[in-house]
Amino acid sequence: MSTETLPALDEGLADVRPTARAPYRRLLGGATIALFAVLIPMALLWAPMDAKQGNPQRIFYIHVPAAWIGFLAFFVVFVGSIGVLRTGKRRWDDIASSSAEIGTIFTTAVLITGPLWGRPVWGVYWTWDPRLTSYLLLWLIYVSYLVLRGYVPEPSRRARYSAVLGIVGFLDVPIVYLSTRWWRSEHPTQFVFERGGLPTAMLITLLIGIATFTVFYAYLMTVRVRTGRMQEALDEEVFA
Amino acid sequence: MSWVAPALTIAGKDLRLELRTRDVVASVGLFVLLVVVMASFSFPTTGEGRDAVAAGVLWMAFMFAALLGMGRSMAIEKEDACMDGLLTSPAPRESIFLGKLAANLAFTGVVELVILPVFVVLLRLAPTGGVPLLVLATALGTLGLVTVGTLFSAMAVNTRGREAILPLLVMPVSIPVMIAAVKVTQAAFAGGAGEGTAAWVLLMVAYDALFLLVAIATFPYVTEG
Repeated sequence: MSTETLPALDEGLADVRPTARAPYRRLLGGATIALFAVLIPMALLWAPMDAKQGNPQRIFYIHVPAAWIGFLAFFVVFVGSIGVLRTGKRRWDDIASSSAEIGTIFTTAVLITGPLWGRPVWGVYWTWDPRLTSYLLLWLIYVSYLVLRGYVPEPSRRARYSAVLGIVGFLDVPIVYLSTRWWRSEHPTQFVFERGGLPTAMLITLLIGIATFTVFYAYLMTVRVRTGRMQEALDEEVFA
Repeated sequence: MSWVAPALTIAGKDLRLELRTRDVVASVGLFVLLVVVMASFSFPTTGEGRDAVAAGVLWMAFMFAALLGMGRSMAIEKEDACMDGLLTSPAPRESIFLGKLAANLAFTGVVELVILPVFVVLLRLAPTGGVPLLVLATALGTLGLVTVGTLFSAMAVNTRGREAILPLLVMPVSIPVMIAAVKVTQAAFAGGAGEGTAAWVLLMVAYDALFLLVAIATFPYVTEG
């Protein structure tokens, strides 16, 4: 890269530079910190201890919100993928791929926190319960999506290929759930989830947890999509 | 309909090529036989639970056969820019997909037809009442697997990973149809349809229909540029 290209590069990146004003991103970042500051003491101290499960039950306040984000992020991948195929715009690919990366982190968190809770409460780290099995497969589809992207260097082809996988994968998840449910229907592992009425304090903590993680996801999306745009601007300037 | 004839032509081309070279069926057939023999050493092939083990082994072998065959079938199109030729021809993209799908089904189907009787004899299975069910499970399971696989093999061949990446794409997505196929096959080995078999068959039909539509709709985007 010669020095003459540098001023042009500078101009092209002006609108996506770190100094560019983005109040909504700052707001989301601040809200995430504030919500976590509320959630953590609520989950650890305020919410009552579960009579049967004891303190390990408290992992529930991050496990369930993370699982919700896993599904939400995958839905966003699906929507972004349809956008890619319909419009061919790289914007949609930025959204789909960012959501897939973030979703992978949250599904990984679910698969780590689940066994940590399962060991003291169920006595085993893992069981082939329909929810666990389909969540593992959701994670596998996410990972194969990211691996596929790594194998396709050309941006527009990468966007289209991963969009096809994003659509097929998303439609697959309900069928996976159905099939794993029937597959293990002879094992009564479902009862552990049937907790009936949740005490109000637990329910409020859970809802705060879901809100916290949703805002956190939105914040991460704005950061990741912007990084994607910067990458795009850089590619255009350098390879133009 | 205007897309049937080009699809048949494309499938015919693949079958003619295969009849002359016998590349896919010979190598894949032998490979699958080896998988079955290896598995017979590793798993209990008598006693309780044998039907379940046999069904699982059989579908692992079928999956390997389909993956190998589909990877090869699309690699042929990549050589000498064959796919570019197909794309510049007046054949609609849907016909290219359906033609490749038909050829892949034929290759996988032939291997399965050869391996099934050998498998039944080697593992001393007696699916007397279950033969129609076995054929049904094989047909529906293979259709689902090969539909998703044909779509993904057109992508895999244009990546840096080539055929190596195909299993990574196909396996997670095809899990539901594989579970269903194994369940129905297990029932067939046990002598016939049992409780819940009809639901599994329906699940395969739904999976096949859904992904056939999705594959036809998305294949044009895979072959673009």
